Amino acid sequence: MTAPLDVPESARESAPAAEAAGMDRKAIQGRSLGQIAWMRLKRDKVAMAGLGVIVFLIVVAVFAPLVVKWFGHPPLEFHRDMIDQETQVPKDAWGGMSWEYLFGVDPLWGRDIFSRVVYGARISLLVAFLSTLLSVTIGTVLGITAGFFGGWVDTVISRAMDVFLAFPLLVFAIALAGVVPNDAFGLSGDGLRVTLLIFIIGFFSWPYIGRIVRGQTLSLREREFVDAARSLGARRPYIIFREILPNLVAPILIYSTLLIPSNILFEAALSFLGVGVRPPTPTWGGMLSDAARIYTVPHYAIFPGLAIFLTVLAFNLFGDGLRDALDPRGNR
Amino acid sequence: MRRKPVWAMTAVSAALAMGLAACGGTSSTPSGESGSSGQPAAGAKNAFNAALTGVFNPSTKKGGTLKLANSGDWDSLDPADTYYNYSWNFIRLYGRSLTFFPGKPGVEGAKPVPDLAAELGKPSDDLKTWTYTLRDGLKYEDGSPILAKDVAYAVARAYDKVTFPNGPTYLNEMLDWPKDYQGPYKSKGADYSSAVEATDDKTVVFHLKEPYSGFDNIVQMSPTIPVPEAKDTGAKYKEHVVSSGPYMFEKNEIGKGFTLVRNPHWSEAIDPNRPALPDRYEVSTNVNADDMDNRILSGDLHVALEGSGVGTAALSKVLTDPALKERADNVTQQRLWYTSINPTVKPFDKLDCRVAVQYAMDKTAYVAAYGGPTGGEIATNLVPPTIPGFKKIDLYPSPEGKGDVAKAKEALTKCGQPNGFATSVSYRAERPKEKAVAEALKESLARVGITVEIKPYAQKDYFSSFAGKPSFVVKENLGLVVNGWGSDWPDGYGFLQQITDSRVIRDGGGSSNTSVRIPEVDKLLDQARLEQDVTKREALYAQIDEKVMQESVILPGIWAKALLVRGQGLTNVLVSDGQQMYDYVALGVQ
Amino acid sequence: MVTYIIRRLIGAVFMLTIVSMVTFAIFFVVPQLAGATPEGMASRYIGRTATEETAKLAAERLGFNDPLVVQYGRYVKGIVAGAEYDYGAGVEHCPAPCLGYSFTTQQPVFPDLMNRLPVTLSLALGAAVLWVGIGVGIGVLSALRRGSVFDRTAMIVALAGVSLPIFFTALISMQLFSYGNPFDFAAKGGTYTTIQDSLPLWAYSLLLPWVTLAFQFAASYARLTRAGMLETMGEDYIRTARAKGLRERNVVFKHGLRGALTPIITIFGLDFGLLIGGAVLTESAFSLNGLGKYAIQGITDQDLPKVMGVTLLAAVFVVVANLIVDLLYAVVDPRVRLS
Repeated sequence: MTAPLDVPESARESAPAAEAAGMDRKAIQGRSLGQIAWMRLKRDKVAMAGLGVIVFLIVVAVFAPLVVKWFGHPPLEFHRDMIDQETQVPKDAWGGMSWEYLFGVDPLWGRDIFSRVVYGARISLLVAFLSTLLSVTIGTVLGITAGFFGGWVDTVISRAMDVFLAFPLLVFAIALAGVVPNDAFGLSGDGLRVTLLIFIIGFFSWPYIGRIVRGQTLSLREREFVDAARSLGARRPYIIFREILPNLVAPILIYSTLLIPSNILFEAALSFLGVGVRPPTPTWGGMLSDAARIYTVPHYAIFPGLAIFLTVLAFNLFGDGLRDALDPRGNR
Repeated sequence: MRRKPVWAMTAVSAALAMGLAACGGTSSTPSGESGSSGQPAAGAKNAFNAALTGVFNPSTKKGGTLKLANSGDWDSLDPADTYYNYSWNFIRLYGRSLTFFPGKPGVEGAKPVPDLAAELGKPSDDLKTWTYTLRDGLKYEDGSPILAKDVAYAVARAYDKVTFPNGPTYLNEMLDWPKDYQGPYKSKGADYSSAVEATDDKTVVFHLKEPYSGFDNIVQMSPTIPVPEAKDTGAKYKEHVVSSGPYMFEKNEIGKGFTLVRNPHWSEAIDPNRPALPDRYEVSTNVNADDMDNRILSGDLHVALEGSGVGTAALSKVLTDPALKERADNVTQQRLWYTSINPTVKPFDKLDCRVAVQYAMDKTAYVAAYGGPTGGEIATNLVPPTIPGFKKIDLYPSPEGKGDVAKAKEALTKCGQPNGFATSVSYRAERPKEKAVAEALKESLARVGITVEIKPYAQKDYFSSFAGKPSFVVKENLGLVVNGWGSDWPDGYGFLQQITDSRVIRDGGGSSNTSVRIPEVDKLLDQARLEQDVTKREALYAQIDEKVMQESVILPGIWAKALLVRGQGLTNVLVSDGQQMYDYVALGVQ
Repeated sequence: MVTYIIRRLIGAVFMLTIVSMVTFAIFFVVPQLAGATPEGMASRYIGRTATEETAKLAAERLGFNDPLVVQYGRYVKGIVAGAEYDYGAGVEHCPAPCLGYSFTTQQPVFPDLMNRLPVTLSLALGAAVLWVGIGVGIGVLSALRRGSVFDRTAMIVALAGVSLPIFFTALISMQLFSYGNPFDFAAKGGTYTTIQDSLPLWAYSLLLPWVTLAFQFAASYARLTRAGMLETMGEDYIRTARAKGLRERNVVFKHGLRGALTPIITIFGLDFGLLIGGAVLTESAFSLNGLGKYAIQGITDQDLPKVMGVTLLAAVFVVVANLIVDLLYAVVDPRVRLS
């Protein structure tokens, strides 16, 4: 369990439900677990709305160049004619919002905020997805290893998780992001910064998945079907991959979905503090950080802020729904 | 993170010796739109730029508490260890150096008058020995007498740059220090009388290596503020500096702030320079810059200490609200914001490629990055207009300063890069305005096909490890380095030497000159130092300026200005050329 | 019990060691891999007028020339046994735990931390009271009136609360309730008053940060309490309690809430520990000079002793909070036995 931000621990997970997930599940004839879950999920309108928003955001992010071409201006293009040269804020009321500039323009350069928010979604989602993937991978591998083998292996891994949890992660992440040079690992520019963000965020979030997986593995290891497989002479890899892992899919899926929004917030926080992707590449956190300085122009803060809010909310709604669908007990 | 360290100081004025009389200094004329154009000086009426040409709201009323805030923090409160110009302005409240920039508006405020000394320095005929005699009856805050040996000791301890890393080093370089001297702590008991000595209780004598006629300006700086050896605690002395001025520390919490109260052993009889109006000074440090601006606008706070002008948010408020605008002063500073064009980075080794940058840049965007016309005016060459001998040199003219794309493309073709090329620009990550400059460069140069990658670096290491380190510049392809410089004293040499002398560039890094390596300029600088005739000397500065522009290794951005706001209830507000911000010694409260 | 605590404490020391080593490595190994020399690193801390000779002397004084192990050892020794610091005019003894001296201000770090701790503590404590009270209260009510309008509204607001980045909420709340109106009643940023100076002013100056921070936490605590309550209220022992004819109030608070509280205590311990270690975002948004801002300052200035100090202090708080949580567990839940 980690909380890298000034964000409640509980926003990330609820421990008891985690223990419950993946257990006591009996398949009903003719339908797989996935089918049942999907049926339940489809009935959950709120979760489906969340999913809809997520899909929409992904589409927008993937086709950002087209979206911007149709509805906006290139995100880096200056429109200084929109700016009052005396004070450097947009000339028109409402920050220059119009059909031409849907969300108005940013102070100083008059760049199209709509386009910048759209492009910001790319960085945000890319970093969130890949860092989640990374932490889930590390967390699952180490969690299973610790839970399955026990003994000193378990001790070492569990201690490692404790150490990670004791770090003031945000402080640490900023320090790390600050000392990495411009060219490293054969990468440079935005590519390097994105990779760096993915690794930092992913690397700091794994213990939280790791703990859940370890706990699950510990209890699964003692279950009858594993005993049965073992007494039939199954080897360890078989037990891990065929008996235990499938039973972990549900909790891993649930907590991945819930980890994504917290990673979005983490990325936004790093960008807000100025250690994210470099300017002028637009990010939501970076725009908010600029907006904080020019607080006299509220529209500049509101759109990137809303973008973060909606994205995180959508993932949270979907994650909640997914949990209910996969683990109906939790909501009883 | 909005600290604006102002490294380049202006306090050292060589005015007397170098004939500064013609210098307009900060006294830019008040804007016509202010109401009181008939009587701009010496009025209590609020008007835009009212404190620039005269004293705003003059008063001799004593009492009250003056509240000040700093969005960053002092480098140190120790007179040996501070190099911010606001700090040199403020330190005069609790410390008295040998000479003093008087609280007079405009150019008069940059001519030193005796302070601790009874009169200005008496030079020997060869100008290598300077003698100062202290006033009678001088006392520290504890009532003990201020002796000449305390001044000599203060100068000697300031020599120790390991203990006091921040302070100015002019005296270290000018005086004839014993070989291998390391300051009174490391070289305990060593005799430093070859550099500075107290011949009796009231006489301090300085021994210079080279003749220098403007020494009165050097001893105006904080390192000549006396420090009683018995009370000296080295790096900890800043926790309680023993006052020789009208105010002393009541409490001091480093990182949070401090309060000054009246020093009972100070009196007007021993100090004709300071009106000492308020009873108390309350200073808070590390205050959020926007909060600070807001508190000044609303009247909770009197002064933003750094004197670097209001932030972006407050700027638009002040300029659009006539009631606020009439409380503001747009102060001209002797500072150039510029971009170095490094000829060590290909293809900037070719002159025409560098020239292309001069033509391609939209300078109005440079102005915008610094907040618009109140942040500065377009610079066409290095030396700012308020420095004596200023000559406008515009080798790369363009309509309204917006750049000349056709000429830039022409230059690119000449240097064999007709389709442009790729390069990088560095800026100090903590400075949003420099970030904006980098963005503006990227946008402007893209017009002619030059693609620019933006690379921020920590301000702390900017010159020591990154942009100021020649090998790093080449390795990171930093063709462009966002940079800035303010004069150490209002004179062409003080302004130009540190940024155009190639001999200040060190392999180890640390210099803010990253791009100017012109042997002819080095020669001209040496010539100027030896030249006694003011007119000829100023002609040399213009020559250097022009040469650098011809070589196109510096892209001048703007000559800086700052929009200061007078807090409510302030009296005796004035801006002098010595401080280029409100004179903190003169201020009072209603 | 005693052996349990001792074992945990040993574990804690081990953890703090690792944390300090990793932090140390980041600041010294990474720059050296990038090619920084001891003089180069020292030149960050000696101003701009410095000569190469000064840089050399400074590198020596800061001990950058020694091997990393020696440098680290010296740091640890300072914590355990104190250290001597040469401040020029003499040598000062820095008593244990000596967390070193700032490279930039030459001030000892430990008193600085203690100086800023009250700010962060005030922020965290006040917010915690708010969020636990409001969060748990709403959670219980929601669970009891499951499906009601109250429940739905509360849960929507709660979900929105956990989805908002704190720096955005802070920005908006300052827009609305501080300078620039429209509901200008809150204390102005940067006017923190200590509790010793004036209790009402202290509370007033922290009101906005408290509410902003608590909003987010309360939201998640409400969600958590609700889920926990729903789960416990479905347990057999609740049915038994009801069957026994206990008053509903007793059933809910004595049995139901108690069961639901255990996970909340765990999470509260962690939350609170981490928050003290630096509410970085909240402190920078509201310009409170607490530990979080101190850490950021340290990072900006590349001032390792400052960053190390905050990191270690934060780790201590997390470890202590964890320990207290585990001990509390035994109190709240009789089934838990410490071993």
